[in-house]
Amino acid sequence: MEQLMKFSISNWSANQKLAAIVGILGFFALFAGDPYQGSTATIDTRELGVLVQKEVDHVSPVELAEWIIQGRSDFRLLDLRASEEYAAYHIPTAENVSLAGLSEYPVERNEKIILYSDGGIHSAQAWFFLKAEKYPGVYILSGGLEEWKDAVLFPSLAENAGPAERAAFEKMNEVSKFFGGTAQTGSSQEKISPQVAMPKLDMPSTTAAPGMAKKKKKEGC
Amino acid sequence: MNAPFFKFGLFGDDVSLVVAFVIGIGFGFFLERAGFGSARKLAAQFYLGDLTVFKVMFTAIITAMIGLYYLSVIGLVDLSLVYISPTYIIPQTIGGLILGLGFVIGGYCPGTSCVAAATGRTDGIVFLLGVVAGIFVFGESFNLIKEFYSSSDLGQLTFPQLLGLPYGLLVFAVVLMALGGFAGAHWLEKKFGPKGIWSNS
Repeated sequence: MEQLMKFSISNWSANQKLAAIVGILGFFALFAGDPYQGSTATIDTRELGVLVQKEVDHVSPVELAEWIIQGRSDFRLLDLRASEEYAAYHIPTAENVSLAGLSEYPVERNEKIILYSDGGIHSAQAWFFLKAEKYPGVYILSGGLEEWKDAVLFPSLAENAGPAERAAFEKMNEVSKFFGGTAQTGSSQEKISPQVAMPKLDMPSTTAAPGMAKKKKKEGC
Repeated sequence: MNAPFFKFGLFGDDVSLVVAFVIGIGFGFFLERAGFGSARKLAAQFYLGDLTVFKVMFTAIITAMIGLYYLSVIGLVDLSLVYISPTYIIPQTIGGLILGLGFVIGGYCPGTSCVAAATGRTDGIVFLLGVVAGIFVFGESFNLIKEFYSSSDLGQLTFPQLLGLPYGLLVFAVVLMALGGFAGAHWLEKKFGPKGIWSNS
């Protein structure tokens, strides 16, 4: 009896109290359910509206070009066009996904995802799907592949350009060469027909199979 | 505000470096305060005389586990956004064995060697030089081992997925393991305990 009297919580050491708390929390975990939030798509239209209005969900072609040149591997670039178009030309490092196949495509919620299509419609629609499924890091290549051609592959300089514009153009010239394009100067500039002039895919393309594209992150104790 | 903060865009790349720095300093500070700047203390674990390392690490694991579990159950953390290292079972097993060998021989693991070096211990500095040399050799020979390095890819596995058990049950099981481990460690320390060279002081 006396033994039992002594068994009161006030006599416990700090360690024993902590152990008891952990034990209780662990026990209640049995009934508290699954911590992963379900995949039911609910949309906060106002939040999405604000995002769209602020255009924080856009990546410009020039920005993307710089990231590719820097060899950054912290994003996944998804090409939403048909596979034949993808085979004919795609931005280096891009992976081909169809809109219909997007929900099964292995991209993780914790990845930064950049979408592009010919113009902007398909990528905007895919953006909406992914946002609804609570992917936070989804971006659209603004202007799509059209803008990529105009701004990165075949940038052009107006005849009456000022010195600052000329300097920027010189820089873009280098970027354009990296991707196998050619810069357009002077009055001779004409819209180059993409079918003829699109660069070959032997440029610094590091396209990998979808499964291979997962980047390993180093972590340790 | 929901976590993970970086993924939800609360701060950008630059601030994330500052956050990493602060967390790193905190991690180092508590390693040092736990006595992990001393190779004697760390090596004593392998003689079963002082299991502080085991107890501290397991305490950290269950604290983080219970914290993350309950925070995500009440909806403050979105666990699906938390990065999980993919499992490459064979290379990781071999890497673990190499790290363990290095730990037994050198008396430090990478984190604690930084702590030891920062507090001016010569052995810690030498160990850290070895770490840097090892990283260099690994980097230079990466092409030779690249295939092995990414072999047996099992993806981002978690135990609830692997075993098909409810998440909460796993939490409870790990808590029981920890409590059993602590009791076992207590018993071992009494038996092989700190009378003699593996003194705590």
